[in-house]
Amino acid sequence: MFDIRNLSKVYIMGDVPVKALDDVSFTIDTGDMACIMGKSGSGKSTLLRQLGLLDQPTSGEIYLDGQEVTKLAETARATLRLQHLGYVFQEYALLAELTAHENVYLPGMMLGGKDTDYKRKGKELLDLVGLGQRIHHYPRELSGGEQQRVAIARALINSPRVIFADEPCANLDTISSKRVMETLVSLNRDVKVTVLFVSHDPDDKKYARNVLIMSDGKIVDRVSNPNV
Amino acid sequence: MFKSLKVAAFLAFKAITRGNLGITLMTIFMLMLVAMNLLFVPGLINGAIDSSNRILIKTYSADIIVEPEGEDQFITNVDSLMKAIESMDGVAAVTARNTINAKITFEGKQTTCTIVGIDPKRDEEVFEISQNIIEGTYLSPRDRNEILLGVQVAGADIKGLELYSSSLQHVHAGDKVVVSYANGPEKQYTVKGIFQVRFIQTDLQAFITDLEFQSIIPASRNRASSIRIKLEPDTNPQPVIDRIDNLRGNLEFKTWEETAGLMKSMTDSFFLINQILSMVNFLVAGITVFIVTYVDVVNRKRQIGIQRAIGIKPQSITLSYLIRALFYALTGLALAIIVFKYVIIPLEMRHPFTFPFGAAYLTTKFTVTARMSVTLLIVALIAAYIPVYRTMRTRILEAIWG
Repeated sequence: MFDIRNLSKVYIMGDVPVKALDDVSFTIDTGDMACIMGKSGSGKSTLLRQLGLLDQPTSGEIYLDGQEVTKLAETARATLRLQHLGYVFQEYALLAELTAHENVYLPGMMLGGKDTDYKRKGKELLDLVGLGQRIHHYPRELSGGEQQRVAIARALINSPRVIFADEPCANLDTISSKRVMETLVSLNRDVKVTVLFVSHDPDDKKYARNVLIMSDGKIVDRVSNPNV
Repeated sequence: MFKSLKVAAFLAFKAITRGNLGITLMTIFMLMLVAMNLLFVPGLINGAIDSSNRILIKTYSADIIVEPEGEDQFITNVDSLMKAIESMDGVAAVTARNTINAKITFEGKQTTCTIVGIDPKRDEEVFEISQNIIEGTYLSPRDRNEILLGVQVAGADIKGLELYSSSLQHVHAGDKVVVSYANGPEKQYTVKGIFQVRFIQTDLQAFITDLEFQSIIPASRNRASSIRIKLEPDTNPQPVIDRIDNLRGNLEFKTWEETAGLMKSMTDSFFLINQILSMVNFLVAGITVFIVTYVDVVNRKRQIGIQRAIGIKPQSITLSYLIRALFYALTGLALAIIVFKYVIIPLEMRHPFTFPFGAAYLTTKFTVTARMSVTLLIVALIAAYIPVYRTMRTRILEAIWG
């Protein structure tokens, strides 16, 4: 599904170039549940943002189903993000003026289709993540874990091929973290959506079928977890 | 495009209804004030122009002035010509006038003015001087030793008059004045009345009957310095002029607009003032919308980044801000038009602005209001677009995380 070749990202901090990604190459198969782990500053979030088409690499290529996507114009990247990629941020990245339901169905509205279809699907997804009773609540009225599950539901509204989750449990308590991770696992298992998440918590390895270990902008190890 | 517009309208609607109500109301209020200002200045200027044109036609020029051509002093056979003109379509009334310059003396004080010989009945049908008598009464057709003075000639102890110091200052109805005509005769008249039409060129005139005028200049019988024609409302003067020209040669014609030299320069100045003030107002409107939008996009930079990250098209986000700017401008505009039409105009009708040429009433013209509205909306859209465009050019990650 994803074929990443020689991906590099260099940030200029003042006058000093800093290599956040250093010649990274790997593949992700359809239906995978993969985790990128590593210490803080190892480049795992940077890598996820390149894959999520939120940023452009300095060099290298990303192939999505054989199509090279790094050189696409912003409009085309926006369309790809809308149709095929779902992104869950580390912070609770919901729109404050919209209810949980509206937050979820907004990308569906952008994609088009009947009002009733994406609104119904929005409700179903909120049910799926266990928030069916809170569809009319605003983000400020939800806990961190609930907001993160709304964000997951939003990421699923357009039936994406892959969900990227950037440390989705970083700001959550243990119970909420478990709930969010189990939601991602069940989506991967039941909806067959590919999930690629970033975590610095070694315990999260247990949710991933494949674990990519990063250090200093490089993938230093790849571990399979056949029990998942 | 429809999808983008739908999402934009959705985002704009939610931002307006669930955003900061105080900021929304303040922005609308600011734009309402700007729009009211944009309505007020041209409204006043158009009112002043309408008022001055009306007073010019009703007291000084009439709709058409017919004069002898070239060096000739008089139009001859006036009676038959007036009868012919009266019968023409579109002509409401006709009067003949003779004029002569004279000096008027009262208690040692002297002033010069134009004495106009008129048939009071006919003149009353064309002009409204008889409706503006402030002392005494209007002339009767058989009056011989009576004179009607303009207030700027008589003074009438009204010290606030523009030309009071050069007037006779203390003349009132019933007083006797001595008139020395430019052709030699000198005669004492009783002031039958004093009029004030608030148009200086008219208020500087004095009137006697045509009977009396003929006694001063016997050659003026069945002759006139000019013929003044009042047209039916909305009558085009040119066909009337053409018909008179075909009827009798050696005549010159002027429409009221051609006599409005002073008014024309005033109108031009008003127009320029209006343009300058309008530009300032549009600038204020633009800056208001720019600041509101700029502050909003700075505060929502992260939200905009998130919207872009989840696949909302940049044009939808931009459009949502433009819709909001349109909403502010349209609401402000609608409120301004309502307040202007139903509060300001009725209030000003009761307490009109007074100019040297009379009271000016605020008016609204559809074309002026429409042009102003469209310009204001365009200014609001441009002002909103600039900060949004700048924000949309930043990278998504920078928008979200700074």
